[in-house]
Amino acid sequence: MAKFPSVRWFDAVREVFNGDESVQGGGGGYCNCVAGMKVGKDIFVLTFEGVECTDAVKADDAALDDVDFYLDMAPADWREMISNIHSNNGADRHHTLNTLDLEREDGLATSHHGDQYREDLFFRYNQTFQYFFNASARIRTDF
Amino acid sequence: MAKSSKASKAKKAPAASAKPSAASDPAIAATPTLVSSQAQGKTDSGQPERPGPVLDWMNKTRQWGVRVKPGKAGLRLGDLNVGIYGEIPMQWSDQSRNPRGAVPRKGMPPVGYAVREKVGMWADSAADLYEEAIQRRWAPATDVPWTTIDKLPDDIERAICQVCTELSQFANVEIETIAGWQHQMVYGYHEVKQYLATASFDAAKHYECFRKRALANGGGLGVEGPGQVNRMILESSGGWSATVAYLVLVRAVFTMTILKYLARHAYNDAERFIYEHVLQDKARLLTYGLDHLHFAVAHDDEQPAVLATVLAIGDRVLTRDLRDPALREALAIIFGRGIRGARRQGMETYEEMMADFMQTHLGYCRWLGIARAPAEAMPPPLDRHAGASVAA
Repeated sequence: MAKFPSVRWFDAVREVFNGDESVQGGGGGYCNCVAGMKVGKDIFVLTFEGVECTDAVKADDAALDDVDFYLDMAPADWREMISNIHSNNGADRHHTLNTLDLEREDGLATSHHGDQYREDLFFRYNQTFQYFFNASARIRTDF
Repeated sequence: MAKSSKASKAKKAPAASAKPSAASDPAIAATPTLVSSQAQGKTDSGQPERPGPVLDWMNKTRQWGVRVKPGKAGLRLGDLNVGIYGEIPMQWSDQSRNPRGAVPRKGMPPVGYAVREKVGMWADSAADLYEEAIQRRWAPATDVPWTTIDKLPDDIERAICQVCTELSQFANVEIETIAGWQHQMVYGYHEVKQYLATASFDAAKHYECFRKRALANGGGLGVEGPGQVNRMILESSGGWSATVAYLVLVRAVFTMTILKYLARHAYNDAERFIYEHVLQDKARLLTYGLDHLHFAVAHDDEQPAVLATVLAIGDRVLTRDLRDPALREALAIIFGRGIRGARRQGMETYEEMMADFMQTHLGYCRWLGIARAPAEAMPPPLDRHAGASVAA
């Protein structure tokens, strides 16, 4: 049981994701970027290298200057997404990163630097990020 | 023993710095039977003669001793850009098919490439995008969960088939456009040519899977799209950068926006898989396009104004396509989950989608420094969509 949000939770998801070869093909695969996760005021930075998510650390607001992009949602919205993933063994169409991005006026993925090239990594690697969060269906989450 | 082993090694692999030739190389001189037989026109066994090795090509290289090592992600295309092989000049004067870094052969007739300057095609990300396209590939035949498609109400099936018809047309235009320019690009910037080969392959895959979806559930192909933008992209001949502006800033952004909304309103896992994966592939084309236009704008002062004019012309063509009801109505039916829901919910979602498209398109133009007309000066219905995007 890992509490969301925490480094322990992201590490548990990383372990499942990194050990699942099925997400490394079929449109998944190599992904090289640094992505921020903003859960209300809590900030986490995930590093994706090759086919793995190699690191998850807790960070402060300044770290968001350096990430390629970050996903920004209120804690209740994160909770709803993760609960939905758990209930359906993967996000239903109302809770995919794509849908959540469309439903937000400023989008789900954003950045401080405004560099389109880096921001668009969210779409280039979208399936990998979806596979990553879908992997959370296989751990027990406490909120 | 050691001496004889050394001599045999020298015969098999002449040193790179030596000048191996029939006259001077001991390895060649060690084949007297062959040489004497040739003089007679026949080998000893009576077989037709084989010409003796010349080997004068062996010491012709611009740089030897290169030993690129694979990294964590393997040996990538971009890793090879070391020494003279990594010299990528702003102009490529060689008009032959000589690979970058190879020794040119004298007397080669010019091929007549139209795009010979780096500013006309380059994107720093091209090598990475090439690797990414290969690594993140997927197969419509086996990766799409086709069996998840169940029978749908007739109006929805017809709408999906119409959208798939037009999306497959978009994909075909992409293949033809890229292929039409690729052979006009010099070999000096091979990273771009190689990436574009994958973009062309991606588009072929997209054509395939939209056609497959249309023919997979009791429906069929619908009506051909109006095709004004198709023609504009295909017939754009003022330069690859202008074509990229149409192909990426207009068409790819439009297609990606449609795909995002289709994924959100997918009726089964197969459709969702298709829309989401095509979207991911398209994001690579978008990255190439933005990266290239960014490079072009940074290295050519005239380029922002040229692209602004190109896009203003494109606005008028796009509006003619948008006035055709087929795609709009089909999308509204999909979003509204039937004809009944299309009138309100479906059209509201369509309008929201178009505002998103214009917001994204105008945002990219701003980022690139390409001036665009204010919303009210755009031809209808783009003025409305652009206005809504500004209000949002």
